[in-house]
Amino acid sequence: MPSREVLAKGLVDKIGLKGSMIKHWRSDGTEMKLEGEILDHLTGIEYFLGILVSEKYGSIKDIREIDAIGHRVVHAGEKFASSVAITPEVVEALEECIDLAPLHNPPNLEGIYAATNLLPGIPQAGVFDTAFHQTMEDYVYLYGIPYSLYDKYRIRRYGFHGSSHKYVSHRACEMLGLDYNNTKMITCHLGNGASIAAIRDGKSFDTSMGMTPIEGLIMGTRCGDLDTGAFMHILNKEEVDISTGNILINKHSGMLGISGISSDMRDIEKAAHEGNKRAETALKMYAYRVKKYIGAYAAGMGGVDLIIFTGGVGENDVETRKNVMTNMEYLGIDFDFEKNEGLRATEAVLTREGSKVKVLIVPTNEELVIAQDTYDIVTG
Amino acid sequence: MTERLEDFSLSRKVKTRGSLHKVGIVGAGAMGQEIALVVSQAGLDVVYIDISEERIGEINARLGRLLDEIISKWGMTQNEKKLILSRIRGSVDYHDIFDCNVIIETINTKKRGTNLDLRKEVFKKIEQAVHPEAVILSNTATLMISDIAAVLKHPERAMGMHFISPVRKVKIVEIVRTFNTSEATINCVLKFAQLIGKTPINCGESPGNVTTRMIVPIINEACELIMEGVATVSDVDLAMREGYGLQFGPFEMADRIGLDKVLKWMDNLYDEFGELKYKPSPLIKRMVRANLVGKRVGEGFYKYADDKKIAKPGSIRNLGRA
Repeated sequence: MPSREVLAKGLVDKIGLKGSMIKHWRSDGTEMKLEGEILDHLTGIEYFLGILVSEKYGSIKDIREIDAIGHRVVHAGEKFASSVAITPEVVEALEECIDLAPLHNPPNLEGIYAATNLLPGIPQAGVFDTAFHQTMEDYVYLYGIPYSLYDKYRIRRYGFHGSSHKYVSHRACEMLGLDYNNTKMITCHLGNGASIAAIRDGKSFDTSMGMTPIEGLIMGTRCGDLDTGAFMHILNKEEVDISTGNILINKHSGMLGISGISSDMRDIEKAAHEGNKRAETALKMYAYRVKKYIGAYAAGMGGVDLIIFTGGVGENDVETRKNVMTNMEYLGIDFDFEKNEGLRATEAVLTREGSKVKVLIVPTNEELVIAQDTYDIVTG
Repeated sequence: MTERLEDFSLSRKVKTRGSLHKVGIVGAGAMGQEIALVVSQAGLDVVYIDISEERIGEINARLGRLLDEIISKWGMTQNEKKLILSRIRGSVDYHDIFDCNVIIETINTKKRGTNLDLRKEVFKKIEQAVHPEAVILSNTATLMISDIAAVLKHPERAMGMHFISPVRKVKIVEIVRTFNTSEATINCVLKFAQLIGKTPINCGESPGNVTTRMIVPIINEACELIMEGVATVSDVDLAMREGYGLQFGPFEMADRIGLDKVLKWMDNLYDEFGELKYKPSPLIKRMVRANLVGKRVGEGFYKYADDKKIAKPGSIRNLGRA
């Protein structure tokens, strides 16, 4: 890609609801926020493009200056293992995946319909959260349930945050001058949603999120790994239905549910420092779950060369990194606890010189992956 | 001049469509409250009208409690509760519904007999307060919308929209068009139903629509069974639940609805159709007179304590009391 400059970024919020609005930011720091009626995605994108070419807030003069559009799509099922050019066939394939992500895929598709409608003839690319993990082997992605359910409904591990895991792993190899295809990596994307991936031979080998983004690590309000037997027992005891159960594990659980304080790591750490036991336990649980996955993935891959922290918590939370990295010498990690202090949202190596396994912070940049993939696809 | 988002429309083709933003609810009893919460949860503003400032204070407190109950059963978060309550406002003044796109009449009275005249009066007041395009709906189960809408200058804007409790869980809503209802009104109501996540059941104008007309003879017949001594209250419910995969048996259902309401339905259906199957069972009448109207008051066919249902041991001659 010739230039990596961000001209503008923006957000369309609360589509179809009262108080729908557009936030827009331009590279010179000009910001705007306007409320108005945005009933659907087409309208939202239309306004966004209007702002992009406007005299006051715009970054380009004419809509025809746009050469390509990249879409982030959450779930592509088993259909796509990499980013692709959007064609009618691709759209059709994505429509078939709605079942797998009923909350996320329909709006993603709306975005594609809207762009097709407003910028006809301009090439578009789809970048999928699941695509990077399509390299997992069957013994890794299958669940221990009747195989017929995989045949019938494609029930399996898909994994998410693909663009992020891909970006930070590539970037880490670039930083250290390592061969991507010959480096074993564990990438920890710790944000409000959190997942961890094992990358070997230049491919995603395993990842903690499953068919849905609920599995794996403990997250802000999601429970992560949970005994399905316990879940059924809860539904029974609390006399709630499946949809309420879904809210329970998605919104009431995780760090919020355990601590009873907040889903925000900073609030929980503050409470723990003030002696709140549950906050303390929550922090221990969070770090332990990450640690457990690192151990499992190191075993799964037969070793590890790099461990990478990214995402809001991974990039900024000194304490979480410290807790995860305590007592990890056995794995060949010589973690520099002093250096770790005070490092936030910056690329850095956190292990001492000579550490067999290197630990890094690499701030993620999913937008850049989408832009890069889109560029690669449209320039063929 | 303040900027408007519309000024940035790319093609200037995006027009502000006459969309649904605000819903009025007249009469915030148990049903009105449930509807208010569901509508607000869908992101629409709600204004409800009730009779006194004191009532409004009580209603607001109850709305909060209803949401707390849902939260305690994991169905919602504190943030969502805040959002939902922030969109609901109570008033004693009909003028406050002037900018509502849809107004639902949900009054109820504890009095025996039809409240047709009261509903007519409310419809008239609503029409005086709202703009010409607003759609006026009644939540009545058994009265004829045409009869209520007869007082309107524009009866084409009236329809029936009958919600079933618990509104949050029941995914359907019965919608009733009259001979005079306009296409625009129907479209508005269909869009409204979609916005609040309910599947509309299109009903021709007929008392009781589908649900009320079906449940009334079942409850009546269940009363016959226990009066004849064929089976006990709990066994009738158990048999119907298990035998036909129903969520509630007829007596559990009657207690949940409220026997006073069931009686009103029966009266109205019997008045309209004149058929014996709708004639209120004497047992229901006795129980209503004794104020054993169901879950709401802690006793009906069952007793209720701490949200638990307890079978009553006594004979039916003694209304189940030992």
